[in-house]
Amino acid sequence: MMSLSRLMSRAPAPVFPAIGPGRQADVERLLSRSGLRAAATPRDAAILLVAGDIPGTAAAPLARVHDQIPRPRVTVSWGHDEPDAIAARIAEAWREVCAGGEGEGDRLPDEPPNKWKGVGPNGQGGKGMMGGVPYGRPMAMTGPDIRDGLQLDRYTARFGPFAPMLPPGLVLEVTLQGDVICDVTVETQPFAQPADADAPDLCAARMLRLLGLAGPADRATAGKKPRGVWMRGAVPGGLGSVDGAGDARDRLSRWLSGTPVTASVPDIPALLKGAEWSEAMLILASLPPSAILRACQTPEAA
Amino acid sequence: MIVLLALVVLGTLLVGTLFAAMLDRSHLSIVAFFARQRVETEAPDRLNRDLAPAWYLTLAGAGLSVVPFAPGLALIDSPVGIVIWGSCEALVIVTVFLHGWSPNAPFPLIGAYRYAAIGLPVMLPSMFVLIAAALPAESLSLIAIVESQREIWNVIRQPLGLPLFLIVALAMTLRGPMDYADAADIATGTSAEASGAGRALWQTARLAMLVSVSAIAATVFLGGPLGPLLPGPVWLWLKTAALMALIVLLGNRIARTTPSRMMWILWVVLLPLSFLHLLISGLVAL
Amino acid sequence: MTDLLVALLAVCAVWTGWRVFRVDSMVRATFSLMLSFVAVGAIGVLLSAPYIGVATVFMMAVEMMVMAIFMVMFMMNPAGLNPMSMVHQHRVSIGAGVLAFFGLAAAILVSRPPSNPVAPDADVVTELGLELLGPSMLIFETAGVTLLATMVGAVILSSRQGRFGSADEGSRPPGLTEGGDPAGQRPDGGGGGHHHHGGHG
Repeated sequence: MMSLSRLMSRAPAPVFPAIGPGRQADVERLLSRSGLRAAATPRDAAILLVAGDIPGTAAAPLARVHDQIPRPRVTVSWGHDEPDAIAARIAEAWREVCAGGEGEGDRLPDEPPNKWKGVGPNGQGGKGMMGGVPYGRPMAMTGPDIRDGLQLDRYTARFGPFAPMLPPGLVLEVTLQGDVICDVTVETQPFAQPADADAPDLCAARMLRLLGLAGPADRATAGKKPRGVWMRGAVPGGLGSVDGAGDARDRLSRWLSGTPVTASVPDIPALLKGAEWSEAMLILASLPPSAILRACQTPEAA
Repeated sequence: MIVLLALVVLGTLLVGTLFAAMLDRSHLSIVAFFARQRVETEAPDRLNRDLAPAWYLTLAGAGLSVVPFAPGLALIDSPVGIVIWGSCEALVIVTVFLHGWSPNAPFPLIGAYRYAAIGLPVMLPSMFVLIAAALPAESLSLIAIVESQREIWNVIRQPLGLPLFLIVALAMTLRGPMDYADAADIATGTSAEASGAGRALWQTARLAMLVSVSAIAATVFLGGPLGPLLPGPVWLWLKTAALMALIVLLGNRIARTTPSRMMWILWVVLLPLSFLHLLISGLVAL
Repeated sequence: MTDLLVALLAVCAVWTGWRVFRVDSMVRATFSLMLSFVAVGAIGVLLSAPYIGVATVFMMAVEMMVMAIFMVMFMMNPAGLNPMSMVHQHRVSIGAGVLAFFGLAAAILVSRPPSNPVAPDADVVTELGLELLGPSMLIFETAGVTLLATMVGAVILSSRQGRFGSADEGSRPPGLTEGGDPAGQRPDGGGGGHHHHGGHG
C-alpha cells in the first residue's frame, strides 16, 4: 500500500509562475511539460516559480502572490539554469510539499489594509447600501452603463503584474460593470521579452488556453498538431482589429499555420474599452508580446 | 429492495466518479488537494462556501436516484422523474452561482453570474429535449420513457435530442465549451479562491455530476437498462461510461467562444432548434 | 409519518421565510426565499401533487436565480464587506403583516378544508394534464401568451438600441401637418436625463 504522500507526489506539480523580464518563453515551454501543471490561480498552486529578476516595483505584488499560495508552499527561483535542472528542482520541491511540514511563512502581515470602518446605520461602509471603503477596500458604486446608460454598479480594480491571463508585468486598472470594461488604464508596462516570446506556437497556445483548450495548447507548444475543434471559429470575427495584422481570428490562423505576426503599435485602452472581459483577454493574447510592450511605451498610452 | 437500490445508486456514483477522474486524468491532483491547506478569503459567506460542493454532490445523487437500473426499477419511482431531473439542473445553476458568490472576490463573482446568464438559456433546450423524449412514452416518468424505447431508441427516433442534451451535460458539469463558470480568462472563475479540500471537493462534485448527467442521457436516449443478454444494470453502466467518455472528449477538444457569442448561439440557434425538435418529435409520436 | 414530515417542512418553510428578512444581503435573502419555496414544493409532493410540487422547486430555482442575477447586476456586492438591512417602511409592513396574519388565520379557522383523500392508484399527473389542456386550456394559454407578450414588450420599451436606432436620438413624434411642429410634448434635449434623478438609498 502506497502512502498518501507518495500518491500525492505522483500528481503533476502545481506551479504558479511569476514571470520576470525576458523569461516568458522559457516558462511557457517549461510548464507545458508533463509532470508539471500551470496553476491558473495561486490558490491552486503549491510551488511559486520566480523566473528572472523581478523588478523592485513588483516586489510587493510578488509577496502577495506568495502569501496567497496555500501552505505548505515552496518558492523555486529560476536564474540561468537549464530547464531540465529547474524541472528536477520543482519535482523535488513538490515531493517536499507532499511530505508535509510547515513550508515557507507569510512575507506580508495578514491583515486588512485598514481597520473596519462602518459609516451607515447597518454597519456598511458607505452612506447608502453601496460604495464606501470598508476595510480599505473600495466597494462598487453605481454609474451609467457604457452600452445603454442603465445605472449599474461599477467596480474598479487593479489586475497584474502576475495575473496569468495578462502579459507578465502588465498592470491594468480596470473599471468593470459586470463583464463589460468601462474604463482601462495601463498602470505599469509589461516586462520586456526577447523575440522568442513572439514565437507562433507560444502565441497560439496562449489563445488556445483562453478558449478552454489546455491540452491542445500544450500539444501546440510541443510542436505537435493541436487537434482542437472550432479553434478559429470560436474567436469572434472582427475582435481586436489592428491595422495591417487583421483581427484576432486572423492572427490565430496565422500562428496556427506557423507564421509570425508583426502588428503595428495598437492603442491598448481603445481596443479594450467596451469589450467584455473574456473578449479583452482574447484581444491581449492575440497581440504579440512585443507589440503590447511597444504600445505601452508610447507616451499617449502611458 | 429500496436499500439495495440505494446501495446501487451510491455505488454507481462512487465508482462512476472514480472512473470520471481517471478519464479526466485529475484523480491524483484531487487526492493531493484534499490534504492541503484551505485558505480563508476576506469576509466570505462561510455557510454557502461550505455548502456549495455539498449541494452539487447531493444534486448529482438526486439526479441519479430517478434513473431506472432495470426495467421498472428506480430508487425514486416518480411519475414526474424528468421534472425532478429538471429541478436538479436548475438547482445546479444556483449552486454554481453560490460557489462563486461566497468567497467575496471579483473573479469568482464574474464567473458566477456569467455561468448563471449562460445556464438559464441552457435550461430551455434541456426542457424541450426532455419533454420531446416524454412524448412517445406519454409519461414524464423515466421508467415509462425506458419502456417506450423497447422497439427503437430515442437517439434514432429523435436524432437532435442527444446532441442538444450533450450541450446541457457540458454546462452541468462545467466542461470545455460550456465551462463559463471556471474559465481560464478569469483564473478559474468560481474556483479562483477555492483551495485545499474545498477545491478538491468541488472537483469531485463536478465529476459526480458527470456520472449523473450521463446516466440520465443514457436512460432518455439510449434505452437505459434495455439490451440483450447482459442484465439491465450492466447495460446502463456501459452506456453511461460511454457517454462519460464522449462528454470528456468533447470538453477537451471543442473550443469555448466568448459568453456574449454563446448567448447569441443559445437564444438564436439552439432554442429554435429545440422547438423544431419538439415539433418533429410530437408529429412523429402522433 | 407523512404528518410529521409535513410539519417539519412547514417549520422549515416558515423559518427560511423569516430568514429572508434577517440576513444582511440580497443574495442571501433571495436564496432563503428559494429554500422556503423548496420546502413548500416538498409539501406539495407529500400531498399527492407530485407534478405541482416538483415544478414549484424547478420554477423557483430558476426565478430566484434570475432575481439574484439582477441584484448583482445593480449592486455588485459579494458576500460580506457591505451589509445591508432587508427591512424598510417599518410601519406599513408591520400593518400589512398583522392584517395578513389575522386574515389568513381567520380564513383557516372559519373555512372547512375538504377531506376527500386521493385514491392511492389515481393517476394524478395525467388528470392534471387533462385538466390543464382540456377545460382550462383557454385560460392558461391566454395567460401564458399575455405574460410572454408583456415581457417581450417591456424589454423592447426599455432597450436603448431599438429597431430604428438609438432611443435617445430622434425620439420626436411626427407633426400634425406635414412639416409642422412635433405633436405632443417635446423631449427635453439629451438622452437619459431621467437617470440622474435615481437615488441610491
